Amino acid sequence: MFWLLAAAMVGFTLLTISSRSPVYSACFMILSFAATAGLFVLLDAYLIAAVEVLVYAGAIMVLFLFVIMLMNLRAAEHEGLRLNPLMVLAAGTFLALMSRAIRDLGPAVQQEPNGLTGSPGLLADTLFSRYVVPFEAVSMLLLAAILGTVVLARRKEDA
Amino acid sequence: MIGLQHWLMLSGMVFTLGLCGVMMRRNIILVMMSIEIMLNAANLALVAFNKHLVAAPGAAVPPDGQVLVFFTIAVAAAEVSVALVIAMLLFRRLDTVNVDDVANLRW
Repeated sequence: MFWLLAAAMVGFTLLTISSRSPVYSACFMILSFAATAGLFVLLDAYLIAAVEVLVYAGAIMVLFLFVIMLMNLRAAEHEGLRLNPLMVLAAGTFLALMSRAIRDLGPAVQQEPNGLTGSPGLLADTLFSRYVVPFEAVSMLLLAAILGTVVLARRKEDA
Repeated sequence: MIGLQHWLMLSGMVFTLGLCGVMMRRNIILVMMSIEIMLNAANLALVAFNKHLVAAPGAAVPPDGQVLVFFTIAVAAAEVSVALVIAMLLFRRLDTVNVDDVANLRW
């Protein structure tokens, strides 16, 4: 199951960044987020999986699709990946260094998964006791984002 | 047996794909989507680390990584809404979505 979902996640992500049409990219990205939600279920993070589907695949991608539709791009402006040897080299070096570092973790990490289950009750207890101040800070951040969005999107009356 | 390293490797691969997207796409919407892909890969790594965390003796494993993922998702939502408005304004004023056409602030 891990390999199936991992292959789906990587494959759909690849399709996302290589599709010529932004609408196809957004649709593949929704599928990639669905695969990610499945992987969260495999890690026993059930609430995170639900939030992933609701917020990421639901809200954020609908926002993306709205903007893509609003822009109504001409098909001539669609373009695929622009391969540049320097960029391929940079990405390859990054991946090689990271896989090397992960392999060298070796016995330093615990291989057996622990019994943690991300149930809503447990997460709520932690979120509203130890993390209550960051939680309030995030609510202020969201308020600032809403206000900023409204101010930016408002058309000037006299212009 | 799927260990922590498998999860980290998957997360690293998806992160690299997002990095490729940021570097190789010129459509501002696709650049933002690639940033979301990278955030999502980081979320996967956080949850995987939490699943392989060793608890203090006699204590339950704290779900700190999963709580952190909540915050990441909230920040990502805020970031996307503001960035999409900026992209809309760019399109309305300059009639382009190509990031190479908006290089005024580049040295």
